[in-house]
Parts: sequence; C-alpha cells; structure tokens
Amino acid sequence: MISTSLDQTLVKGHKNYGQITDELLANTEGRPPLWWLVGIGLGGLMLAFGGWAMYTSVTVGLGTWGLTNSVAWGWDIINFVWWIGIGHAGTAFTIFFLVFRQKWAASINRSAEAMTVFAVMCAGLFPLIHMGRPWLAFFIMPYPNTRLLWVNYNSPLFWDVLAISTYLIMSITLWYIGMVPDLATIRDRTKNKLRKTIYGIFSLGWDGSLYTYNRYETLMKLLGGLAAPLVISVHTIVALDFAVSVLPGWHATILPPYFFAGAIFSGFAMVLTLMILMRKVFNISDYVTLKHFDNIAHVLKYGSLVIGLAYAIELFLAWYSGVEYEIYTFFNARASGSFSTAFWIMVVCNAIVPQVFWFKKARKSLLSLFIVSVLINVGMWYERFVILVSSLAEDFLPSSWTSYQPTIVDIGIYVGTFGLFIVGMLLFVRFIPVIAINEVKPISRIGKENKKTEKHVE
Amino acid sequence: MSNKHIIGVFDDDQKLLTAVKNLTQHKANIKDVYGPSTSHELIKAFTRESLLPFLAVLVAIGTIIGAFGFLYYTSVIDYPLRYGGKPLFSFPPMVVILFFLTILVVGGVSVIAFLGRTQLFPGKQPVMIDPRASDDRFYLVMDQNFNPEEIKLWIIEAGALEIVEKEIDTQTGWGF
Repeated sequence: MISTSLDQTLVKGHKNYGQITDELLANTEGRPPLWWLVGIGLGGLMLAFGGWAMYTSVTVGLGTWGLTNSVAWGWDIINFVWWIGIGHAGTAFTIFFLVFRQKWAASINRSAEAMTVFAVMCAGLFPLIHMGRPWLAFFIMPYPNTRLLWVNYNSPLFWDVLAISTYLIMSITLWYIGMVPDLATIRDRTKNKLRKTIYGIFSLGWDGSLYTYNRYETLMKLLGGLAAPLVISVHTIVALDFAVSVLPGWHATILPPYFFAGAIFSGFAMVLTLMILMRKVFNISDYVTLKHFDNIAHVLKYGSLVIGLAYAIELFLAWYSGVEYEIYTFFNARASGSFSTAFWIMVVCNAIVPQVFWFKKARKSLLSLFIVSVLINVGMWYERFVILVSSLAEDFLPSSWTSYQPTIVDIGIYVGTFGLFIVGMLLFVRFIPVIAINEVKPISRIGKENKKTEKHVE
Repeated sequence: MSNKHIIGVFDDDQKLLTAVKNLTQHKANIKDVYGPSTSHELIKAFTRESLLPFLAVLVAIGTIIGAFGFLYYTSVIDYPLRYGGKPLFSFPPMVVILFFLTILVVGGVSVIAFLGRTQLFPGKQPVMIDPRASDDRFYLVMDQNFNPEEIKLWIIEAGALEIVEKEIDTQTGWGF
C-alpha cells in the first residue's frame, strides 16, 4: 500500500459535536450585526432601482431598453446567461459531494447551493421581463387553450423554459431537503417561541431517527444523481438558443460544451468570491480552510485552460470554414473591430489571469484569490456580451449594422438582480447555518484517527 | 407488554457503531438510533435498503411513456401543424423534453414519497427523545426482548456515557 504524508484533515482542531453546533449556529443567533443591516439596506436600494426599471419596462414598454432592430437581444439575455452560469456551481458542488463522494465539498455545499438558488432566480427574471407582457408568461406552457394551439416543441426557447424551471425547482428542493436536519437543530436549541414555531414548521418534525436518516440518505443521493445531468444540460440548452440560429459566431457546434465549461468556471469563481467574504465575517475558518480555496483554484486554473482552448478553436474554425461572414465576425468585429476591447478583456480575464494559480503563492493568498475570482466573473460577463452583441450588431448586411448602448432601464434591471442576490444571500446567512452541520459532523474526525489513538495509548 | 426501553447514550458515533455491531451480532433487537448526524456504516448496520430508487425507476418509465404520448398527441393528432417543411413528429427534440420532464417528475415524486413514508410534514410536532439528539448526543434505543442486563453490559462495553431506562408514551412520545 502507498502511504502518504498528506494532511487529510477536513476540519481543523479537535472539536466535539457540541462545539461544532455552537460555532456553526453562531451566525443565526443574537442580534444582527451592523454590516448585515447595512448590506440589507444597500441590497434593498438596488432592488428598488430594479423594481423601478422593471415597472418602466412593463408599463412603458421594451422601447425603454437599448434594443434595436438588429440587436434584439441585449443586456437582458447577456445577464440571463451570466446569472445562469453562476448558478451552476452550487449543483456542481452537490454532485462532488453526493455522487463523487468528495467529502471536502461538505462545508461549501450549502452556501454554493444557496448561491445557485438566488442566481437562477435572478436569471429567470430576464426572459420573463423580455416577454414584454410577463403576466402572459403561462402562454409558453403547453395547455389546452381557446386558441387550440400547442407550443412548438422543436424550439430551443421552449426547452429553455423547461430546463430553467426544472433546474430552479430541483436546486431549491436539494437545498431545502439538505437543510432539514439543521433546521431541527435550531428548533431544539432556541428558547425564543416564535423562532421555535417557524423552524419547527420548516424542519418537518425531524427527530433524527436512523430509519429516517436511511431514507433521507437514499433520497439525497437520488436527487443528487438527478441533478447531475441537469448541470450539463441546462447550459447546453442555453447554448442551443444561440447555436441553432444561423448567425455567424452563434451557429457553431462547439457552443454547448463551451458554454458548459464557462458556466462551471464562472460559478466556481463566484463561490470563491462569496466564501472568502463569508470566511472573513463569520468564524468558519476551521471549516472552510485554505485547502478548500486551493481546490477551487485548481478547478479555475484548468477551467481557464478549457475556456482559452474554446476561444482558440472558435477562431480556428472561423478561419478554417472559409466563410467570409464567420471570418469577419471573429477576426474583424471581435478581435480587432468595434468589439475588440470587450473581446480582449474577456481573453485576459478568463484565459490568462487565472493562470496565476499555477503558483502556490497565488493559491494561498486570499487577496489574489479574491481579485482573480472577481476578474473571472467580469470576464465571463464580457464573454456573453461579445458573443451576443457582436454577432447581432454586425451581421450579413452592412446596411443594417448598428451599435448597441444599454439604457438606464437595462442597467436598472441588472442592478436590481444584484440587489435580489445580495438580499437573498444575506437572509440566507442570517437564518440558515451557512455550513451543513449534519454533514460536517461526521467528516470532522477524518484525518485525526491516528492522533487520537496515540493519545489514548499515553 | 411494557413500553420500557433501555437507552444507551453516546457522544461518539464510532463507539455507537461498535455497540450497534455488537448488539446485532447477538441478535438483540435495536428499536432505533437518534442522533444529530449519521454515517453510511451506521445506516448499513441495521436498517434495510430503502426502496425509493425502485419507485424512482417506475415513475421515470411512467413519465417517459406518458410524456411521449402527450407530445405525440399534441403535435400529430390534435393539431398537426407543419412548419418549415419539417416532419410532424421528430424524435430528437422530444428527447430534450422527456429528459427534463423525467427529472422534474421523478424528483418531485421522490420527495413526496420520502415525506409520506417517513411521515414528515410541515408543522408536525417532533417526537424528540431528547433535545440533545439534534446537537451532540446519540441515543441507542433497545427493545426489551432480550436479557436486559446483557444488553446493558454490551452498551457499556462499547463506551456509552450512560444508560437510562425510559417509557415511551404513544401520545406524548418521550416526554419532551
């Protein structure tokens, strides 16, 4: 057998279960700290700005957006794809944990899933508003109606509806079912009657019986297994929205895997950003260690290589196809023309900057981890901007070429979704343990067995 | 029959696992174990495999057949609209729809089946053996179908903190 001297510990320090409960429930107890109230206020303001922008979009019309005849998809779809991409990491972590049995993922799982839920909610808002009459959104569902029509099942837009709603429902289910035992822990600890009632309702009468745990474990594995193909397929469907069209720059078979890689990439970056912030404000550094960040940094490093390769292949295929429109879009419009700034921001942020993670120093420093993770998400936003706008603004007919500028309403909706995300995450960190307590407890012993027996012998 | 139970209290799930293994070896009946977390070994030690995956497969097959029928009915029989010169029914796009619908329906049914089988529902009053069962203590509850003294010995040997005897009331549970 090969023996290694690797440090196997997943949770630092010798903690008993009681200590773990105390430490991980600290964020849900006592009075809310000042930064939390300020954050909620700020998020609320952003949400109000978004509310105004959405109200304007609905009452005045989509003419308030920066869309033109040529650029019919603008910030709305860019932000939709961006948020959906971010949402992918939570489910990816769930799969790491439940399907691949990567035990280290246990302490990130819960926050990553929360991030997924709120990110997918933000994403879902955009297509809804883009319909112009969101109260008629149910028209896209196949139901018997007075028009005697059914929906077009061959359209990727219908697949999108199904994919996004399935994804949202499944990620909320996984997130909620996963936290039921922890909610029961809060219910049994709290002295406050109102808290006891509310947590009592949501903990479903959980009593910690092993028979329940048996079925619970099976259910979680089943849901994890069901969610696993969703991670790959949802962004594939989003990519198909573009790939089945005939526009140069969109009409490519590489788009689905390329979008999927980008989604995992941006999602992991967002998880890194959020976990660094959470580790800063909560006392969870024993549970979310530098080793967790190191693992994520490795994923980002290789993800960045995949993305870089995808960029290179796109350029190569455009040249290799010999189609002048393809060549124009990639080499003239994107790499050297009107969209070159955005294109090079995208290349630098996504394909070059994350390569610093080859150096151990960059992976160990919270500052560099934070900066790179933010840059990646900036780069990923620009990637969607380049893909969408460059293909639409400069297509086959130069006479219909146009430029694209977002309006204050576009910006408002985007800021509003940030508000929704911030408020959602802050409510999450205030009322739910940010680390899955019932999953962390069994792994807290890993890597410490030897030390324990030694002590015992003494 | 007496409702009295011997309860071994543990603070370590490894010791609990030893006790459970000892007891099952001697064919003593374990009623249940209550605790804040669990491990795969502990679950395997005395519970049967859940049948949920079989239900999931059945539901998945049902969903695929049902959804396929629905898609065929709506696009070929009820309103055969030909657009783009394409055939009325083509299988590849249906795969996408069947795939998502199956995941959605199986996920939903599994959760409902789990809640039904474990009798958990929002607002249910929990029958907690002790408030610490969701914090840092494990409770090994034994049926008295065996020599109680021997059971106690095995539990103590495995490293239990203490042994208590308690009666369960069918109305109020464990009295918490």
